[in-house]
Amino acid sequence: MAHSSRSLKAQLLRHDVLLLLVLALEIAYFLNFARNFGTPDNLSNIVRHSAEIGLLALAMMPVILTGGIDLSVGSLMGLCAVLFGVLTHDLHWASLPAASLTVAAGLVAGAFNASVITLLRLPPLIVTLGTYSLFRGLAEAITQGTKTYRSFEPAFLQLGELRPAGLPLQAWILGVGALGFYVLVHRTTFGRSFRAIGFSPEGARYAGLPVLWRTALPYLLAGGVAAVAALLFTARLRQARADAGTGYELAAITAVVLGGTSIFGGTGTVYGTVAGIAAIAVLNNGIGRIPAVLKAGIGGELASLLTGALLLIALAAPGLSKLLQSVRKQSTLPASANPSPSPTH
Amino acid sequence: MKRSQFLHSLLVLPAAFLLPGCNKPETGASAENASGAGKKLTIAFMPKSKGNSYFINCEKGAREAVKELGVDLLFDGPTNTDPAKQNEIVENWITLGVDVMAVACENKEGISGALKKAQEKGIKVVTFDSDTTPDARSFFVSQATAQGIGEGLMDEAARLCDEEGEFAIITATLTAANMNEWRKHIEARLAEKYPKMKLVDTKPCDDQKDKAQQETTNLLGANPNLKCIMAICSPAVPGAAEAVKQAGKAGAVKVLGLGLPSENRAYLKDGITQSVILWKVADLGYLALYAAHALGSGALKTGDTSFKAGRLGELQVDSGGAIILGKPFVFNKENVDQFDF
Repeated sequence: MAHSSRSLKAQLLRHDVLLLLVLALEIAYFLNFARNFGTPDNLSNIVRHSAEIGLLALAMMPVILTGGIDLSVGSLMGLCAVLFGVLTHDLHWASLPAASLTVAAGLVAGAFNASVITLLRLPPLIVTLGTYSLFRGLAEAITQGTKTYRSFEPAFLQLGELRPAGLPLQAWILGVGALGFYVLVHRTTFGRSFRAIGFSPEGARYAGLPVLWRTALPYLLAGGVAAVAALLFTARLRQARADAGTGYELAAITAVVLGGTSIFGGTGTVYGTVAGIAAIAVLNNGIGRIPAVLKAGIGGELASLLTGALLLIALAAPGLSKLLQSVRKQSTLPASANPSPSPTH
Repeated sequence: MKRSQFLHSLLVLPAAFLLPGCNKPETGASAENASGAGKKLTIAFMPKSKGNSYFINCEKGAREAVKELGVDLLFDGPTNTDPAKQNEIVENWITLGVDVMAVACENKEGISGALKKAQEKGIKVVTFDSDTTPDARSFFVSQATAQGIGEGLMDEAARLCDEEGEFAIITATLTAANMNEWRKHIEARLAEKYPKMKLVDTKPCDDQKDKAQQETTNLLGANPNLKCIMAICSPAVPGAAEAVKQAGKAGAVKVLGLGLPSENRAYLKDGITQSVILWKVADLGYLALYAAHALGSGALKTGDTSFKAGRLGELQVDSGGAIILGKPFVFNKENVDQFDF
């Protein structure tokens, strides 16, 4: 038992170390071959452009860790953006109360996901697939699919541009988010139980853990975080529209899984997720700056292709190495028809 | 053994994906040298979306101008219309150090912040096809004015009817601002130049082909002397043509409108629709690139009232900084096959 948990830890460590290595390779490569990659302005853009997906990934991590999934966060971003637009434009609220209510609404939406999943014991995939359509549909209904809210208060728009102490505001928010989720998942007994629930909800229940409430919390947080992401997105883009955050849930899941969290739950780290976010963000930015790619104008397409390849490689590598090993074992076995019970030395 | 294999598989594969760019480090160096020398301009050009055939034609024109002018072109844009991606690309171009940007804006106000940031860094900005806020660009390369479109439609209708007889208009909605502007110019031109022609009715089709067809059928029934249908929103042109075809009045009732040649090719070839009016999209891209180059090289400055754009000749610049491509182009049976948008 002790042995198996140690080898598990070693495996986790390996994934994290390898991911960091990939990130380091990316950075080294882009510093050498991509145009103006290492400039402060560009580094700040990397963070600014990936902040919303990064936040969603951080919130998605505990959800996946408990063995769940939240497909609704991207749609919820759209709904929250529209809500903020309605409050500030149609109801003429000031930005601060409007933003506060938007975050509250995000939490309510997250609580809705959480209660349907835990109280009705429905699969998270199906429940959040439902709210994925529900939230987006609501946002589109409010705006008739066409209305775009523009012209926000300058102070609010500054959220997209501010650089306290030289770093973009998004970097600070991501940092605080990462730290918060790190403490929750790794440093509280509460958060540690996410892993137990992900391993075996039944086991966790028999062990006396309040499984319902602890399964619910990550969805609640994800709702609040989606609202914050929607506000950042609105400030950066200077517009609120129902299509905000389209497809972001999948990008967030990609970062979490690339970061080493098992899609089945039970294992994973917040710092792995951070590395996953960084690896994707750096790839997205750097690949389009390689002269040949720049000339062809296919940075965006190539980035999504490579992100997919990277994810598949990261997931397939352990299984692949096992497969290779067993194939090799088979081929080095003596040519007897019956496999001998004890391996030859 | 197991570990080394595992490491190997994870190390080699990322290296493989890094390879595609490996072969051309020199291009980057030379490009940087060139722009550093201040001779060859780097112009970045962005459509609303890369997959749209309208913008693919724009790009063709832009590339033609690139050849004539000898500039470095960066061409990129969202795969599908995506204002967030447009902002991201503009902000990336700023850090890449381009000289001029030419952008077709999906989101007028949303992109203005990023474009202003570019201007603060000394990068010149022109917009084309769809403008941003005027303070975020130096010039807007416009496909046509409302007056140009309105008068072009009326003149073509009059030509088809020999300047005499009844005609009707199918519009998108009675409230659409741009179309009401066009109608104003159509009616002004009618009153001014074509006294023997009469506008009998104007019907909305809600930007739907089916409804345009229905309305046209009703118009044909109610106005037996109708000589011409003018469809001023793009779905209405094939809609009106289909109604005329089914009524068996092909040729007797002329159809013209504002739309994409590709959507009307079959009706043009069958002689049901006589004329489709639009600007030459490739020329729009060509002009945008010329304007960007002139602005970047200092040949075109704010306040100028005209400038010369290659094979398009001398073009007017209005007081709002709009450079007008000129009169709309008429697509018909004979020339429609030369265009693929």
